[in-house]
Amino acid sequence: MRKFFILFTKYNAYLLFVVYCLISLFFIKLQNDNMLTRLRNGGVEFSAFITDKLLSYGYLFNLKEENERLMQVNTNLLSRVINLEAATTDELNRKKILADTTINASKFIMARVVSRKFSDRENMLLIDAGLNKGIRKDMTVLTPQGLVGRVTAVSEHYAKVMPVIHTDFKVCVVSDKSSTIGVLGWSGGREFVAQMEHVPISSSLKLHEEIVTSDISTFSIRGIPVGRVERMIPDKLFYTVDVRLAVDFSSLTQVLVAPLKSDPEKVAMTSDNTTGEALP
Amino acid sequence: MVQVFGLSHLTLFTVSPDALSILLAFISVTIGQRTGTTFGFAAGVLTGLFSGNMGLSMLARTVEGFIAGYFHIPENSHATSKQKTKRLYGAAIAASFAANAVYAAGYNPLGLSPIYRIVVLGLLESLITLILAFIVNWLLLRKTLSD
Repeated sequence: MRKFFILFTKYNAYLLFVVYCLISLFFIKLQNDNMLTRLRNGGVEFSAFITDKLLSYGYLFNLKEENERLMQVNTNLLSRVINLEAATTDELNRKKILADTTINASKFIMARVVSRKFSDRENMLLIDAGLNKGIRKDMTVLTPQGLVGRVTAVSEHYAKVMPVIHTDFKVCVVSDKSSTIGVLGWSGGREFVAQMEHVPISSSLKLHEEIVTSDISTFSIRGIPVGRVERMIPDKLFYTVDVRLAVDFSSLTQVLVAPLKSDPEKVAMTSDNTTGEALP
Repeated sequence: MVQVFGLSHLTLFTVSPDALSILLAFISVTIGQRTGTTFGFAAGVLTGLFSGNMGLSMLARTVEGFIAGYFHIPENSHATSKQKTKRLYGAAIAASFAANAVYAAGYNPLGLSPIYRIVVLGLLESLITLILAFIVNWLLLRKTLSD
């Protein structure tokens, strides 16, 4: 017993280290636990609040510029609405839009990016809209230029967004002309180029074709611009397609959050996802 | 707070200076490995709360405090101010490199190659942290680490 006690006091730094490591590993395992999520959301809320306050001083000095930029956003949105109205006159498009109950442009929520981290330890955006403005997990975040990302955590006043340029992000996309379907992801490197996967060699996809979100996506509404095909390298069975992203992530200050895509029948059909991974 | 709201936003090649490494190095060097490890664990809880990656942050900071503990200067030592400062720098570099390696192993949001992340970015982060340690030592710790 005495020997054990001597051993314990001699190596207690190691024991302490092992205990802390075990607790940490336990927390890593519980990453998606409800209680931990609530705790994390509280932290995100506090962190965003402080960042928001710090930024607001700089924001006051840039009001004029901000106003002009918002006008630009409004103009872009207006042009999109006009385009949409014109499209509804087209019989085919009209039918498609009428069939899709998930799109309701009037329910877009505008939010300001209050924090952005792009480092090897963290890659996310924080927006100043949360549960209070109707933001929910898995909502699509976009700008008039294109897709920005997906809401991954929501607190009362803020939401955390996983951007397209995150290695865990996936979205189903389709090309506008050839209707080639693929899954868009980002595998690191340049922050303005993403990769479109699962494009077979037989596909008629061409360079510079516009890529938009597909209706197949479980979270995103269809038709949001994602980017343009920049490079296509043929492999044995599939193309390696580089897509130049439509959104400039380095100058992102305002975003729109699309209403949650609610299609219970589709959710039910895809709910047997046993891998636990987020569906694209 | 300084780390989470200030320094983490200052990135160079996706790497940011790590003030916590210096704090943990200082605690481990002056007080001891156990205290350093415990402080590391606590710092990991706090930073993890804000970053959303709690478990990994706890693990990385615990390792950081523990590694820095190997540079501990016993109270009754006759180390000169220069030797103490050298130990502090060594602890900061080792702690920062170790934390970076743990983060690299556990989370890779930018999809970087593990070797590049651990070796190149680890060394870069250690270097930036060392520069910050020079500044912090010059501004705040000189008197504490004197003979």
